[in-house]
Amino acid sequence: MSGGHDTHSHGLNLTLHVWRQKNAQDTGHFETYSLHGISEHCSFLEMLDQLNEQLLKEGREPVAFDHDCREGICGSCSLVINGRAHGPDRETATCQLHMRRFHDGETIYIEPFRAKAFPVQRDLVCDRSAFDRIIAAGGFVSASTGSPQDANALPVPKEAADLAMDAAQCIGCGACVAACPNAAAMLFVGAKVSHLALLPQGQPERKKRVLAMVEQMDKEGFGNCGNIYECEAACPKGISVENIARMNREYLGASLTARPQGEAKAGF
Amino acid sequence: MLSRFGAFLRSSIGKKSLMAFTGLLLILFLIAHVAGNLSLYADGTGEQFNAYAAKLEALGPLKLAAELGLVILFGAHIALGMRTYLENREARPVRYKDLAPKGNRTLASMTMPVTGIVILVFLVIHIIDFRLADFSKQGLAALVIERLSHPLGAGIYFISMGFLGVHLWHAFQSLVQTLGFRHPAYLPAVKTAGMVLGVLIAALFATFPVLCLMFKGQWPWN
Repeated sequence: MSGGHDTHSHGLNLTLHVWRQKNAQDTGHFETYSLHGISEHCSFLEMLDQLNEQLLKEGREPVAFDHDCREGICGSCSLVINGRAHGPDRETATCQLHMRRFHDGETIYIEPFRAKAFPVQRDLVCDRSAFDRIIAAGGFVSASTGSPQDANALPVPKEAADLAMDAAQCIGCGACVAACPNAAAMLFVGAKVSHLALLPQGQPERKKRVLAMVEQMDKEGFGNCGNIYECEAACPKGISVENIARMNREYLGASLTARPQGEAKAGF
Repeated sequence: MLSRFGAFLRSSIGKKSLMAFTGLLLILFLIAHVAGNLSLYADGTGEQFNAYAAKLEALGPLKLAAELGLVILFGAHIALGMRTYLENREARPVRYKDLAPKGNRTLASMTMPVTGIVILVFLVIHIIDFRLADFSKQGLAALVIERLSHPLGAGIYFISMGFLGVHLWHAFQSLVQTLGFRHPAYLPAVKTAGMVLGVLIAALFATFPVLCLMFKGQWPWN
């Protein structure tokens, strides 16, 4: 190739300001690195791989960052890139963000997801186990064991199936928290509550679930929702904030009508 | 029963719901307030406006109850707003270098605490100006026109109504979302209605400083 495709042959030259933090106790700081000849075809994480190779060659500590599937479905990758969770694109996880979205000579700030409930462990790695504890509090259904039941034994309305599937797309990456000006986890919890509340399998624990999951969410120290909806814009799976409204009414309803265990008998 | 209500109010969703509910009632109060104020434009003497004020005074204990209700509404809304603001700051102890927009934020949604505090400061000025002042001699209408004919008074009231408009721009659709009524079928209508309502309330209130400054109570249509 010739002429106008300089970046193809020479690649991008970038200045990176990367958050470096030794451990959870360290206060952390930005360090500046220069990278040369990065292909615009590589993903953002592949660019960081090249940075780490360069650092290793120089005998320096590589940058720690989370990643696993690198195809946008595992929810491992994080990063706030130039102030945006998962970078500039909509419905794109950091692993699927490509360097063609950046221009030659660009300066890029790379930070971890920041929230009290997501403490940074090292460099760009934060501990998102708060989400696991919210799920453990109620994000599951009781399943009968034994022989498999007939596939059509439980009728599910098409609309409920579609909405539940939309909510179930959540990969639990935490970008909603990272992008929220209040560091709230409402989109994640809303998606998980909605997913199960919409399906017949989720009915037995429906009230208990939303009460327990919201309680755990609050315990973890996430912020309050201000209906700014940046979570929806940052979500790599495009989860709608309609799920937050559904969780709100599930919570309101459950708060008003749930009976503590044993109370049901008192009515007879 | 009480402990259940307490648990609800301590939860993030409970706090937001109560803030939304008090906000809704405050919007209704503002509509009634601005409708009553419009009687100032009914004549050049302020007679109608003073009669309206006298009617409210004549309610006696009912007026006291209404005022107490307003104190509770404003108090709860402000206290919850401050509390959630502080909690939200605490939820991100280490700030980003610059949290850039992902695409859904608006000026109004991002500045609710700021506009809220400006409205609170205005509320204090407003209560000192008209609720605590003694207007038994000249009448309330004359006092309002006197305050708002002065450039400083008019400026404070006009600018405050700008902040109120921005606050209300986000408020209505936000409370619909918080109370769980969001549905794609009527979401566009809720958003539009909320913006129109917010801007209309603030704009109607803002006419008072503007017209008082221009005409000093001598309305050209009378």
